[in-house]
Amino acid sequence: MSNRARIRVGAVSLMVLLLGAGLAGAGAGDAEGRPARVVSMNLCADELLLRLADREQIAAVSYLARDPRGSNVAEQAEGLPRTRGLSEEVIALKPDLIIAGAFTTRATVALLKRIGFPPLEIGVPADFDGMRGQIRMVAAALGHPERGEAMIAELDARLAEAMQWAGTPRLRALVMRPNAFTVAPGSLGDAVLTAAGLINVAAEIGQDRTGQVSLEAAALADVDLVILDEGARGAPSLADALLRHPVLAELRRQGRTVSVPNRLWTCPGPQVAEVVTRLVAAARARTSLR
Amino acid sequence: MKALLPRASASARSRLAGAGLIVIAAALVAALVLASVAIGYAAFDVPSAMADLLAGRTTLPALVLWELRIPRALLGALVGFSLGLTGAVLQGYLRNPLADPGILGISSAAALGAVMVFYGGLAGSLSLALPLGGIAGAALAALGINLLAARGTGTLGLILAGVGLSSLAGALTALALNLAPNSYAALEIVFWLMGSLADRSMDHVWLCLPLMGLGWILMLSTARALDALALGEDTAASLGFDLVSVRLRIVTGAALAVGSGVAVSGAVGFVGLVVPHLVRPLVGSRPGASLWPSGLLGAALVLGADIAIRLLPSRPELKLGVITALVGAPFLIGLLFRRQGRT
Repeated sequence: MSNRARIRVGAVSLMVLLLGAGLAGAGAGDAEGRPARVVSMNLCADELLLRLADREQIAAVSYLARDPRGSNVAEQAEGLPRTRGLSEEVIALKPDLIIAGAFTTRATVALLKRIGFPPLEIGVPADFDGMRGQIRMVAAALGHPERGEAMIAELDARLAEAMQWAGTPRLRALVMRPNAFTVAPGSLGDAVLTAAGLINVAAEIGQDRTGQVSLEAAALADVDLVILDEGARGAPSLADALLRHPVLAELRRQGRTVSVPNRLWTCPGPQVAEVVTRLVAAARARTSLR
Repeated sequence: MKALLPRASASARSRLAGAGLIVIAAALVAALVLASVAIGYAAFDVPSAMADLLAGRTTLPALVLWELRIPRALLGALVGFSLGLTGAVLQGYLRNPLADPGILGISSAAALGAVMVFYGGLAGSLSLALPLGGIAGAALAALGINLLAARGTGTLGLILAGVGLSSLAGALTALALNLAPNSYAALEIVFWLMGSLADRSMDHVWLCLPLMGLGWILMLSTARALDALALGEDTAASLGFDLVSVRLRIVTGAALAVGSGVAVSGAVGFVGLVVPHLVRPLVGSRPGASLWPSGLLGAALVLGADIAIRLLPSRPELKLGVITALVGAPFLIGLLFRRQGRT
């Protein structure tokens, strides 16, 4: 190894050490061993953190937390520091617990692992049990397991309340998100449809590997309820343009559409029960019309 | 004036062959339009849907037929005809076999207009914001080039102005995408520019049909002038053709046809470049005779490519411009090789 290369390697390892030291030097939590400076780097992590932790425990949330179009906790996030999930921002906050999404800010997560500070990574739950498990895991990491149980109890109570009205016959439903992305069988969204007593048509018309359905197949499948998000529009996008196609306008005119904000079922939390409630109500209205 | 043009029995024979070619190509286009209506992602009874449609029953199959299948087939034919015709007109007029519909910078300007109107939120939630913006961009570009053309710039000047306009519009598009509030704008537009006819509606047809029709009429009206221009600008002028009027008609017609095409389908490359080369050996080298066959063959090519996209197993579907380029580029290279062999 040449001298210069050796110096370079030395410099890099020193930097990594210093970064690690910066994190290790952070407060190691309060008397009860709870983390005192928690940073979340993903919207779903933000929602759980804001609902389960004491406000003093929160060092920063992600920049998405305050956007009411996507976030269910925009008000609670008001006044808290925000990051875009960059390594520098996160490390400068000297966190003692970092919660990251399993599919977001991968570069930062990789760096944090390299310097010996692995974040708690939360994936995308595939059903209600996965969701309950995730709530429990985060609540335990925050040192408030009882709050996790309370959240699960609230979710289950609201689910039970909604599901007792789920009707027969089971109606046929299809979720159409921007770019014609749908809810695939075996996902949390599919479990939500099932809980609301609906048949997920995506299973029979099939979707491609990215989970998109063709508008043609969607229209011909004779769907009772096309589930769209017709809420507040964000910045203009071609992905949304599809949802204004005349075919969907005609389905809307025939009373075959129902609008449910996507933010209600993007992340785990008691708000998912709200989706079931709305779908059950829409299905009952549709059945009485037919 | 007609009598002044050189005529021979050979040219009469090639004119007859040209008429035969037009009939065959038109039949091919009609067959491909029907095939395009019949082929899709979900099977349904097309004749009974057609009956529902004609009887005014709004059944789901009738809806799919009228708002998805038929517009897709019609747009394929319209866009293809525009590209083939514009390619033939521009290659004849500029006397440059490498001229394609994008050479005047109109495609780039249409893309710029679409991006600015759509992502700038100028059109609110209007569902046709994107194509309307594209048409506005193409119209402005045509105005600029016409101002140049009216001052009597030669064909070389026209090409250079087009190159300049293309680069400027490309740079401004990149800037607009950078400033767009939607962080996925650049990605979406890259895909949109590759060209596609997926999920268009009858609204798109009504929007582009009149503009394209006007553009075609303007361009087809220059057929005889193009023949004369093959003998050189001075000869054409001495035969009594008003070259400024010819130029204005060609630039305006190309802008209308290509601009509205890009606005509804994105940029579909290579069709306008390749089709006139396919047609020329069949109609002789008179540029005027290649206009109708080039338009029809362009329509057939785009329809064929769009059908192939839906038959290929790749999902999400390939982009139209990708298929036409994959077919067109090797063809162009082969053409150049054969030419070199000959000279």
